[in-house]
Amino acid sequence: MAVPLLEPAVLRRLEALALQVRRAVSGQMGGERRSVRRGQSVEFADFRSYTPGDDYRLIDWNAYARLDRFMLRLFVAEEELPLSLFVDLSGSMDWGTPNKAETARRLAGAIAYVALNALDRVRLTVFAEGPTSGGAPYRGHRSAGQLFAKLQGFPAGGTTDYARLVWPIGRQRPGMSIVISDGLGEPGIEDALSALQRARQEGAVLQLLAPQELAPDWTGDARLKDAETGVEREFTSTPLTQATYLRALNERTEQVERAAHRRGLRYARLSTADPIDQMVQVTLRRIGLLA
Amino acid sequence: MSLLAPAAGILGLTLPVIVALYFLKIRRPTRVVPALHLWPSEIRDRQANVPWQRLRPSWLLFLQLLAAALLVFAALQPALPAGAALARHTILLIDNSASMQATDVKPSRFEEARRQAGSIIDQLGAQDRMTLISVGPAPRILASVTGDQGSLHRALNVLAPSSGSADLSSALSLAAGLVRPGDEARAYLFSDGIVDPLRAEFSNGLPFPIQYQRIGVSGENVALTSLTVRTSAQSRAAYLHLQNFGQQARTVSLEWRADGHLLDVRSVTITGGQGQDLVLPIPTDATSVTAHVANPDLFTLDDTAIAVAKTPRAFRVLLVTPGNVFLEQALRLRSDLQVDVVAPAAYRAGGAYALTVFDRFLPPVLPDGPAMMIDPPAGSSLAGGTPVGIGRVRAADAGDPLLANVDLQDVHVARSEDLRASTFGRPLISSAQTPLVLVRDQPFRQVLVGFDLHESDLPLRVAFPILVENLSEWMLPPSVPSRSFHPDEPVTIVPDSSATAVAVIRPDGARRVLQAGAISSFADTDLPGLYTVEQTISGAVQRSWFSVNLFSDTISRLNPPDRLTLPPTHITSAVTTHPGQLEIWPWVALAALGIVAAEWLVFHRGL
Repeated sequence: MAVPLLEPAVLRRLEALALQVRRAVSGQMGGERRSVRRGQSVEFADFRSYTPGDDYRLIDWNAYARLDRFMLRLFVAEEELPLSLFVDLSGSMDWGTPNKAETARRLAGAIAYVALNALDRVRLTVFAEGPTSGGAPYRGHRSAGQLFAKLQGFPAGGTTDYARLVWPIGRQRPGMSIVISDGLGEPGIEDALSALQRARQEGAVLQLLAPQELAPDWTGDARLKDAETGVEREFTSTPLTQATYLRALNERTEQVERAAHRRGLRYARLSTADPIDQMVQVTLRRIGLLA
Repeated sequence: MSLLAPAAGILGLTLPVIVALYFLKIRRPTRVVPALHLWPSEIRDRQANVPWQRLRPSWLLFLQLLAAALLVFAALQPALPAGAALARHTILLIDNSASMQATDVKPSRFEEARRQAGSIIDQLGAQDRMTLISVGPAPRILASVTGDQGSLHRALNVLAPSSGSADLSSALSLAAGLVRPGDEARAYLFSDGIVDPLRAEFSNGLPFPIQYQRIGVSGENVALTSLTVRTSAQSRAAYLHLQNFGQQARTVSLEWRADGHLLDVRSVTITGGQGQDLVLPIPTDATSVTAHVANPDLFTLDDTAIAVAKTPRAFRVLLVTPGNVFLEQALRLRSDLQVDVVAPAAYRAGGAYALTVFDRFLPPVLPDGPAMMIDPPAGSSLAGGTPVGIGRVRAADAGDPLLANVDLQDVHVARSEDLRASTFGRPLISSAQTPLVLVRDQPFRQVLVGFDLHESDLPLRVAFPILVENLSEWMLPPSVPSRSFHPDEPVTIVPDSSATAVAVIRPDGARRVLQAGAISSFADTDLPGLYTVEQTISGAVQRSWFSVNLFSDTISRLNPPDRLTLPPTHITSAVTTHPGQLEIWPWVALAALGIVAAEWLVFHRGL
């Protein structure tokens, strides 16, 4: 029997969470999000004068009695949130203990589950060398199982090419996009994040790293092999060279963080050593992605 | 430079081995990393990446080769020629007498002598042998004809300065005994030249040349050279002699203490080369009195003097005489004798007297103990033959300690019993006609005088009280002499006959247990200060004291002579000498260690 992506206990705890949206959304179907359009809900928005053709059911008869004018009551329309998940399953993610790709699948599944519970529409895209769609958008918590199976079905491998994310991102309707990646691919992730900004996406970048790359635990001579390209290089690890590596890694993560913040995106650096509950309940709450 | 272990050059093969190891291709384990571009592109060329590649410059390889070369060089035991001229057998005589504790050379003359001796040991060649002899009050062979530098250094390091004089004659005798005929030997004497006069036995010379290495530069010293306590009927006072052995006037602060309590502090100025006598009344109940020069100078051993103030335990003496003022006065001169005088008619045997003196009287039975019989009456058991006219007297043995300081030059005796046939004992004072005074040890120490003191001018001479004192001390030695002794001088301790335990406590607190019921010679007196003798008598502890002080003008004079008169050499052929060798391999090995440390640093810094 296949191992479930997320344990039932984790799912139960996720049901208490909701995605935090900073601005009103514009979806295709009714949902639980404030829409930019006026519609049917219980939340009063405004009055306006009646013009022929309006739905006379919306005429405020009390106002007519006081003002001797037909006034229409306008309510905030509640619509669904289009949420796009971009999950990096390149070769560099298939590394570390716990494995970065596996953790990325679980994290994406957890966020998707929160969204599906709120009747939001979830679109899944995995990427390595190029983007691969995770199928038609998912809606309603009953579709969570299909989404989880899809996530588990994608193998990890290949080189990272963030540039090829630009096109699918540009097609997104305004909504929320979350990118889960280690952010280590070359060239950098900046172009993809700019595309998110242009597509009016309220999003987040979740940079996922393994503890072994945050603090290498080996020294001595080795032949280093790139997990994505397979390129090899001889190397001697000493305290000095390790310090140089950590400095480069730190610069890279700060670069990704600056790029995200500059484009109004939320950013969190996560270690695969942390349990999924801590990532969701603590880190994602701290950056305001979940509440 | 010479190499003491050239065979170790074989170790030089390690250098090409290191280079060969460098050429061997390294087998590196493969490690997958998520982003290779984050890792620095530096690679340390510690070893070849392909077999037998061209040798590339590498700091690590260079340092490894340098360290190996230095270690090989150290194994060759390189040695530099040093200054001292060494023979095949070198004898080092190191003065550890009291004067070597002077600090005119830092840290002290003794340490300087030890340092100089140590540097000569370091120069010992592989074929050379060396002997170390200490020159103190009791010279000792510290290391005998050995080439082992380690054991020589160890023997030198355990040597400590003493508080006594330097008996150079004995040390030279020891050295001469270790040199066999034909040996090429040479001796060095590390000393300040303040040594006991050489004995005549070296008039024929020594079997080796000896070189005096003078240690010390100054003789500026103020010393306490005598301290005694005298008791009169009314009071008690301490008499001190202070001497400035230097050339310059000195003002010193003199502290007096009784049993550790400060009595007086006074400032005394003494011109160079002069002395000064000082008197201080002391409490009648004081046990000891100490004088101390508070100003530190070059030599501290003579800056403190201590004397016993307590009167020793008194002996009861019975003088049986029809009347003899001279004898009674002479006995009373000794402060620890309590003299009772009785007429012969009143004499009863069995009194608890330590000494009985019979003057012109002899009981039928002699007491069991020390006794002195003077002119026993005719018919008594000890009476001699018919009296004979005498005249001048002489010592039977001039070197007899019982006649020490007794001048018999002007002593005459009118007549004496003829003691030639007496079997009493050995003669002490004699004449042309007959022995006059006989002494014996068995069964008790006793003295027989053959003439009436009134028929001699002996009681009118200075020799008389001295003779009585000598004889009474011989018969009744004080249980613990309360006078001052020199360091390392043996002290005779006569325990009380009823003492069950006897112990001596040294000034440093160390306790030495002596055998109870036997006369002991206590020689552990190297430390100046106050010694306490504890006797347990009937469960109670009875204490008496004696002191040990330097009190030696010869030592306190300190000034090291430029030349020392040493015995000549009686060998005719010149002793072949060669320069000493200073082994430098420890320094080379240390440098190799530094290079290894640098190599480790270079590796970890990634240079």
